[in-house]
Amino acid sequence: MTDRFSQASGTSAVGGVERRSTRSWSGVAWPTLGVGAILALVPLWLGDSRVMMGIAVLGLAFAAYTIAFNLIFGSTGQLFLCVGALAGIGGYGGAILADVVGLPIVVSIALSTSAAALAGGLLSWVAVRRSLGVIFTGIVTLIFALTFENLLLGLGELTGGESGFLMEAGRGTFLRSQIPPYYLMLGMVLLTLFVYGSLRRSRFGWAFRALRDDEVAAELAGIDVARYRIFAATIGAAILGLAGALLAFTEGRVSPTTFGFAEVDVVVLVMLAFGGIGSFLGPILGALTFTVIDELLVEVGQLRVFIYGALVIALFLWLPRGVVPALDDLLRRRRAGS
Amino acid sequence: MTASILDGIVLGLQFGLLATGLTLMYGLGGILNLAYGQMAVVSAIVTVSIMEAGLPVVPAAAIGIAVGALLGFVLDQTVFRPLYSLRGEARVLLSLLLSLGVALMIDGFLNWLFPLKGLSLFIGGGAIDVFGEPMRRGSLLASGITIVAMGGLVAFFRFTTLGRAVRSVIEDEEGARLVGIDPRKMLRLILLLSGGIAGLVALTRSMVAPVDVTAGFGITVFALIVTVVGGLGSITGALAAGIILGVINAIAASAIGTFMSLVILLVAAAVTILVRPAGLLGVKE
Repeated sequence: MTDRFSQASGTSAVGGVERRSTRSWSGVAWPTLGVGAILALVPLWLGDSRVMMGIAVLGLAFAAYTIAFNLIFGSTGQLFLCVGALAGIGGYGGAILADVVGLPIVVSIALSTSAAALAGGLLSWVAVRRSLGVIFTGIVTLIFALTFENLLLGLGELTGGESGFLMEAGRGTFLRSQIPPYYLMLGMVLLTLFVYGSLRRSRFGWAFRALRDDEVAAELAGIDVARYRIFAATIGAAILGLAGALLAFTEGRVSPTTFGFAEVDVVVLVMLAFGGIGSFLGPILGALTFTVIDELLVEVGQLRVFIYGALVIALFLWLPRGVVPALDDLLRRRRAGS
Repeated sequence: MTASILDGIVLGLQFGLLATGLTLMYGLGGILNLAYGQMAVVSAIVTVSIMEAGLPVVPAAAIGIAVGALLGFVLDQTVFRPLYSLRGEARVLLSLLLSLGVALMIDGFLNWLFPLKGLSLFIGGGAIDVFGEPMRRGSLLASGITIVAMGGLVAFFRFTTLGRAVRSVIEDEEGARLVGIDPRKMLRLILLLSGGIAGLVALTRSMVAPVDVTAGFGITVFALIVTVVGGLGSITGALAAGIILGVINAIAASAIGTFMSLVILLVAAAVTILVRPAGLLGVKE
């Protein structure tokens, strides 16, 4: 990866865990539980409004997307511009398996999550095999994402084309109620966060950091770069697929825009850039911050896209490590100074 | 079939020309400009706004193209400036991210200010027979302009000192520097030129089909695919790939519908990248 982004993790509490003990699980479990405890309170505040709870569920789905993208791009330097498409394999796959094929919901979710994991692993395998590099990996995965979008539109009889379709499966169950879907999604995000945190602390974490800092040196030190890349992409894609499937079943409908490049990938990139590429809690903070900002900006309509663009530029130019790690550093310096 | 092939060639010529702009920015400066389609859209919107103000089409079009070129120059002087201290893949990656930001800014601004606005240059008169197929005058004029522009570009790079200087930077930046060519100046020229190319393609495109405020991303993607298939940094590759992909697209579209033809096009592009990462006519680094 590049020099600019490789400093992303490291010395800060949000930005990295290297400084503290690398052995115990508590360093992952406590922050995860802390995040969980705070987010578990959200329905007390917004629980009355169906619309707000829908937005909160979507925000959690984006938190999972961002963590997964961070695992794939931030940790192993694979620019996967098909976050929406992989989540869409989970979402559309689950919806079609449950509604059209008639499988039980849990089986549908498991199968579509596996399909997404397989797709992500295959993409990574191809990229590693052909040693595509960051840019060409980005282009190939972008082509994959656009192919997926056009397949959704082209296979209208199965996918409902441009408007998508309303799902029968799960109707009348807790999946369509107001508050339980939130806790289901929250459980998934916390599991994701815990898996990601544990990976960072295991030998995978060391390998990730080594191959991000200097790929050739990592290879020479005996790290099987290809294997770790494919592994990270498979796990990341599984998270994306699961999040996409859960989102589909709780919203009760799927549409191309739910998983579109402009609607998902661009937003996830902004969220990760804000939270800090390669950091542990940054992605979830970035995702939640932007869910709130997005809601606040609803009024300005299309200008929102303009503001997003300006933010992308500003973030990558002046705060390439991310706003959250930068703030964290500032606080630390303050504390050390006083 | 003949009609599809001719339509494909019309489209392919335009995308070939469009891709030369993208391929030059990449080959010369390591810049992957994702705001390229938006530059074309800006030209189109400026042209249609000036025409609405009452100016005739030719000066309006000239101003539109000039604004496209100016936009390229402004990008070089502002957003892309920090790129030039980076090298290799880092530069390409950051250029991709920054230009994505520019693309969002332009898209959001235009959609906010001029929703539903689009440029559609209607060329009157009846159809003209070409190989027994009736062709619209607009398509023929667009193709004619595109071919002249391509000829001009090729001549510029082959016969003028400035054009040769640009090519020498693409081939060997260090070598060019040693004989007194400033790569930064050449890059500024190329950004100006590619902005103008984007504007010109937007205008010729609008003689065949409307170019509206939301068209930017689609244009960028098409140009990117053509560029990658033709080989990043190769001008002739871009022109050839444009025509090949244009014809594939037109035949597939008439046979199985728009969305699935795009799928075929995308798969063809992916296969090309995987089989020949350097592209059809690209040179391995």
